[in-house]
Amino acid sequence: MSSNKPAIPDLPLQFCGKWNQKSYRVLRELGRGANGAVYLAAQGGVRRAVKIGAEGMDLLMEVNVLKSVQQGRDVRVAPLVSDVDDLVINGRTFTFYAMEYLEGEQLDRYVKRMGTEWVPILMIQLLARLEILHRHGWVFGDLKPENVMVTHADKQVRLIDFGGVTKLGNAVRQFTEEYDRAAWQAGDRRADIAYDLFSLAVMAVRLSADPEVWKSRRQEPRQTGLLCDIIRNSDSLYPYRVSLVKAFHGKYASAGEMRSEMLAIVRERTTGHRGKQASDSAGKLVGGLFVASLLLLAGTLYYAWMM
Amino acid sequence: MKEATLRQILVVTDGCSNAGMSPVAAAALAREQGITVNVIGVIDKGEMGEQGEKEIREIADAGGGLYDIVYPQQLAQTVQMLTRKAMTRTIHHVVNKELKEILGDSAMDVLAPEKRVQVAGMVDELGERSRLDVVMLVDTSGSMKPKLSAVQQAIHDFSISLRSRSGQSRMAVCSFPGKQKHLDVRIPWTDQVDQAHQLTSGLTMSGITPTGPAIVEAIALFEHVQLPAPLSDRYRAEAEDDDGSLRDHVF
Repeated sequence: MSSNKPAIPDLPLQFCGKWNQKSYRVLRELGRGANGAVYLAAQGGVRRAVKIGAEGMDLLMEVNVLKSVQQGRDVRVAPLVSDVDDLVINGRTFTFYAMEYLEGEQLDRYVKRMGTEWVPILMIQLLARLEILHRHGWVFGDLKPENVMVTHADKQVRLIDFGGVTKLGNAVRQFTEEYDRAAWQAGDRRADIAYDLFSLAVMAVRLSADPEVWKSRRQEPRQTGLLCDIIRNSDSLYPYRVSLVKAFHGKYASAGEMRSEMLAIVRERTTGHRGKQASDSAGKLVGGLFVASLLLLAGTLYYAWMM
Repeated sequence: MKEATLRQILVVTDGCSNAGMSPVAAAALAREQGITVNVIGVIDKGEMGEQGEKEIREIADAGGGLYDIVYPQQLAQTVQMLTRKAMTRTIHHVVNKELKEILGDSAMDVLAPEKRVQVAGMVDELGERSRLDVVMLVDTSGSMKPKLSAVQQAIHDFSISLRSRSGQSRMAVCSFPGKQKHLDVRIPWTDQVDQAHQLTSGLTMSGITPTGPAIVEAIALFEHVQLPAPLSDRYRAEAEDDDGSLRDHVF
């Protein structure tokens, strides 16, 4: 329905890059996005994800970001780029790049299969990834379930589409309204840490909420009050309400801060029963101490007054 | 390219023009004067007529811009994306031209992809820092009426996007057909559009869609263009007046 011209070309089944002479055998298409199409291909016996787009410049900008993110030696945030090259299709030159192929499942499908109790844990993992990205001076921008993958091998959350990644302080390059701070009337589109955390919080709500509820409320004007409504009525989200609301209002200075707060709640809940008993008896103890101190205070006052 | 200004006209329409000069020729004229013309076709359901799509494509091609055909709810996002991509393109062309002077013809083709990645980073950064002037040209002929609330939302949304850029940005909003002229300036040059702004108030609904003449008149809103006296009288003075009152309002 959306026809952005010039069209994204189809990759030939077999091709060879013009500059680096690496040859690829295309296995299947993995998906199509705003900027291009991604294919699964084999190159030298290794499986790669190959991305091709209509506008070479857009693709090259993505590679530029992927490469700068990779300069850090931390835990890997972005897929590794293995090749950038040109290819001629029907007399026209197109740019493509190849990266490591991550085998996994899109975040929303994973949650659907495994259950919503996974959402906080996945969000905590994601926050760790975002923190690294932020530390290198980048904001992810277009954060949504479609751009996050849970790998089959090690159940790790990975960010996959870097088309929206923006330098801190610049205008967000690409966004999806459903997760966009400005569309929810909660701020602008300047790429800051809070922008990503906002999208993450909306995503948490979207993934935990009953799909019917989410769908039916889509027609209403986008305001964070609506999100708070959903949180209030959801058993799985309610314990995390403080973190989520803080993210909606840009109250976190870093992804790490939000992460440790959510982590504390998860811990508290997993040790739930025992913790509750302990706090009950602690409550009694505190209560007892309080009464004792009141008596003491009354005694002192009485004494002072008598003097 | 220190303080380059990128100039764009963004046409939002739902069908074919049917009055005055060819919009394709008008777009070519705009491009000639350093203004890129982008076009968004808005459809309710189903398809835009073949003729309509052809015209939209031809306007964008002649205007050195991009086009897309979307449903009303996709409008806001499309406006931002098209504008950014068209900016990138324009800067890319300029950079390419400069590279050609240094490296000779087909400059980008002789640069290895690894080098071009660096150029891309530079183009991206220039796009963020450049000045940007956009005139939104909204078709308000009868059939557009049900889509105008989405257009209004998109205008407000676009002003947020512009505000989020590092470079200076301004936008103006015009509707066509206008009461007396081919277009009416609804929002004069501004860097912030009030959400409460009503695009629908005081509209002249008619069956005429003078896309070509409207583009020509929109060119007159860009100050750098030398205008023939009658057009200049009509738009320059008005634009300056409005600009003045707006400044009072904002500051």
